[in-house]
Amino acid sequence: MSFLAPLFLLGLAALAVPILIHLTQRERKSVVEFPSLMFLRKIPYESVQRRRIRDWLLLALRLAAIALIVAAFARPFLRGSNLAAAPGGARDIVMLLDRSYSMGYADSWSRAQRAAAQALESATPADRISVVLFADTAEVALRSTPDRSRAVAEINAASPGPGSTKYGPALKLAGSLLAESLLPRKEVILVSDFQRGGWQPDGTLRLPGGTTVTTAVVEGAAGPSLALTPVALLRTRQAGQPERVTVTAGVLNRTAAAASEVPIQLEIDGRVVQDLRLSVGPNASASISFSAVTITAPNTRAMVRLGAAGAPEVDALSRDNVFNFVLTPAAPVPVMAVSQGPADATLYLSRALAIGEAPRFDASLQSPEALAGDAMNRARVIILNDVAINDAVATKLVTFVEGGGGLLMALGQRASWPQSRAAWLPAAIEPPVDRTRGAAARLSGMDYGHAIFEPFRAPRSGDFSTARFYSYRGLTAAKDASVLARFDTGEPALVERAAGRGRVIVYASTLDLNWNDLALKPMFLPFVHQLGRHLSGFKEQPAWLTIGQVLDVDAAEIAAGATSGSAARAAAGRAILTPGGQRRDLSTAAAATAGGAAPVAALELTEQGFYEVRGTGRDAGPTIVAASNVNIAESNLERMDPKELVAAVTGNGPSGSTSGQDVLPDEAQELAQRVWWYLLFAGILLLIGETILAHRYSRVRT
Amino acid sequence: MATSSMPGARFIDPAVLSRIGNLELVAKRVVDGLINGTHRSPFFGASVDFAEHRGYVAGDDIRRVDWRVYARTDKYYIKEFEADSNANFSVLLDVSKSMGFGSPISKLDYAKTLAACLAYLANAQRDRVGLITFDSEIVEHVPPSAKHLDVVLHTLDKAKPARPGQLIAPLRKLAEHFGRRGIIVVISDFYAEPEEIFHAIGPIVHRGNDVVLFHVMDPQEIDFSFADPSSFEDMESGDQMPIVPTKLAADYRALVQSHIETLSKKASQQPVDYMLLNTRMPLDFALFRFLSMRQRLARTR
Repeated sequence: MSFLAPLFLLGLAALAVPILIHLTQRERKSVVEFPSLMFLRKIPYESVQRRRIRDWLLLALRLAAIALIVAAFARPFLRGSNLAAAPGGARDIVMLLDRSYSMGYADSWSRAQRAAAQALESATPADRISVVLFADTAEVALRSTPDRSRAVAEINAASPGPGSTKYGPALKLAGSLLAESLLPRKEVILVSDFQRGGWQPDGTLRLPGGTTVTTAVVEGAAGPSLALTPVALLRTRQAGQPERVTVTAGVLNRTAAAASEVPIQLEIDGRVVQDLRLSVGPNASASISFSAVTITAPNTRAMVRLGAAGAPEVDALSRDNVFNFVLTPAAPVPVMAVSQGPADATLYLSRALAIGEAPRFDASLQSPEALAGDAMNRARVIILNDVAINDAVATKLVTFVEGGGGLLMALGQRASWPQSRAAWLPAAIEPPVDRTRGAAARLSGMDYGHAIFEPFRAPRSGDFSTARFYSYRGLTAAKDASVLARFDTGEPALVERAAGRGRVIVYASTLDLNWNDLALKPMFLPFVHQLGRHLSGFKEQPAWLTIGQVLDVDAAEIAAGATSGSAARAAAGRAILTPGGQRRDLSTAAAATAGGAAPVAALELTEQGFYEVRGTGRDAGPTIVAASNVNIAESNLERMDPKELVAAVTGNGPSGSTSGQDVLPDEAQELAQRVWWYLLFAGILLLIGETILAHRYSRVRT
Repeated sequence: MATSSMPGARFIDPAVLSRIGNLELVAKRVVDGLINGTHRSPFFGASVDFAEHRGYVAGDDIRRVDWRVYARTDKYYIKEFEADSNANFSVLLDVSKSMGFGSPISKLDYAKTLAACLAYLANAQRDRVGLITFDSEIVEHVPPSAKHLDVVLHTLDKAKPARPGQLIAPLRKLAEHFGRRGIIVVISDFYAEPEEIFHAIGPIVHRGNDVVLFHVMDPQEIDFSFADPSSFEDMESGDQMPIVPTKLAADYRALVQSHIETLSKKASQQPVDYMLLNTRMPLDFALFRFLSMRQRLARTR
């Protein structure tokens, strides 16, 4: 038996108190005032009698009660064989091996593998070993095996990846593995270079009670450490000329030694187009701009590289010496504007669409007859300005929208929609409302939270109420449709609903000057741009992504100029070519990730380099290329104290967590320490008995 | 009300009297019921009470010559009479802390009532009454006067046991103070050696004063009937002493009894009147005994 709080045993000194009381205070019950002790002093007095202990039983009760209570506070802990041996000595070991790209620094990885194998040498056949490889995500490479050699083989087979260090997911995974364990002893072995950037303190992250955390620090070799920061792209366009891009690269030196005349190259489509030299001071950064290059083809693969291709690396960590990006001329969004009537009916609309820059709109003005042909398949957005639609065209339009296209119906006197498909529209179209007499109608009640009106949200960002509407078509919005704007009478003016992969918007008036003067107002141009942008689903695509980010394939295709028809076909099957040269099918991945009725095609980037996504089949639409880079934060090799991490996840001091060998599971610990409760209870019982006995003695004497 | 077994006397429990509060009322209540006791003056003077004849000596006032005796015997005799009793009556009251002992009535309360009664009695007999309270020093001094009864009673009323007492020093000091012969009543618990007490009052007695010692004691002091072992604290010095009463009671009682007997014996030798008063003893009984004793002594003088 030992004690958790042995200092409390000092309280046993309190045993002297009742003894002293019995010896000295037994006969000094009270003080009696007496006029004079003159006569009493004359009497020979023997005081020995006072020192004799009476009431031995009472004294014994008091001593026993104090001793038991003191022992209870000292928290006795049974180390008896029955408790310690009952759970056995078997361990559940989770080996966490850091495979972030910083572990590829010089020979860090081989030393990490050796340290991991060495840490497992103490494992016995009764132990269970799990191997978890982690960087920014964690994966179980081997689950709960008693075979140590298999675990070592798994460790030796692993290699550092492009990911950045994140301890949180790995420790959470280890915690969940150990929580399921039935073995009495739990241990986590963490082999890492312990980069400070990988640890974000998290109060909720705790390993199961009694878990021992052992750390093995892989020291990074001292030497130069340069890293490329994300490039800056400056695009310039001159009329009639292709787009030119100026690339500016940044270099970060994290060491105390200056780097001078470091070669830096710009590669386009695998060819070195420019080769420059750069000097960086100690613990400083520098930037360099390459000459502008002309971009003619979409998806041009570009790369900035520190050092010359084929030459020795400038430092021992090669992954952050390369920065990949994609140069693509901005692709316009194909818009089909259909108008019925005079040629100037779409004047304002076509002029507005021609001015767009991000995105650019490639507007083609068509007559209603064109809707019957296949022109629709080349468009991403169709704008119908006061057009009567028959059944056949309606069917085609429904297919177009549900395949991913956008449809804007501007309603005038002639506009109609077949009754058979009336439910498909977001609003039922009513007869025209004449407001030529009296005050004209004005727009009010805009939904500024919606993407279309969001730019007009701030004060003095466009006042729609200045436009006057002399006529409009009455609308009755469907239940599942959103009313984005209303007239001052409360009637819907702009109603939207998603249909399949696309969107439909019904506008209660025309986009020319027949029924309103909105086209003359300053907010007309941004309003049309917002409508086109929203209906096309356009999102600006970054020139590069970081490993761990997700590529929105649909948005990337739209940005690359995909039409609704090609998008619908591409959605049926897309192939991915990874930087490692592997070919995968995206549709299965998309279904797995989204799992809904309208799956979002998304691709998680896990490798450094260029991903290529292309639709399978004929006329599959544009090919997408996405550049993937390592996280620049990982190139910062500054180390943290492993004790800090251990203390955070175990809730104990670092010494206790790393050195504890005989840690029992919670239940066994609780059982072994429960003795104090019985001692305290016995002590209280004795005190009650003492009180009763003392009371009786007192009554007998009085 | 506790009564004595003494027939014919209305003895009142001192504890009851102490509750009355007004000392004059108490004194009147106690004294009026008693006989109008008198005491003869030690001086010869002009009064109606004949004392004796003596032979004429030169210098005698010839108006006091008994001419009838001269006619019969042809010798000059002077006729002498008892002088009127118009004496100084002083009460010396011990107000030391030890006098505060006692329950339900403390020794001091008992002594104050007794002093009031005596003063009232003396005043009724046209004596001049005075009062001196003392502990280790003289606390209050009311000079004897025929008009000082109220002052005496008031002073008695406010007397409190406040300081440790010391019997010898104040008595010696007072001995010089009593120039005129009178009656001196000392009321105290006499916690001092008898030799020292009588050594202190010796000068007072030798100056011709008539001294009466009232020794006031609580029954607990006499019987020592404590049961529990306790720490006994001297009320005056504050000293404490652990005592097992059952072991010491017999020795204590013997010592107290010896003390009382020594006092009594020495008093009869001086001559000084000595009377032990137990605070349980009714006051009028104490007064009765006192007056009886005084009359008896007067006759023998």
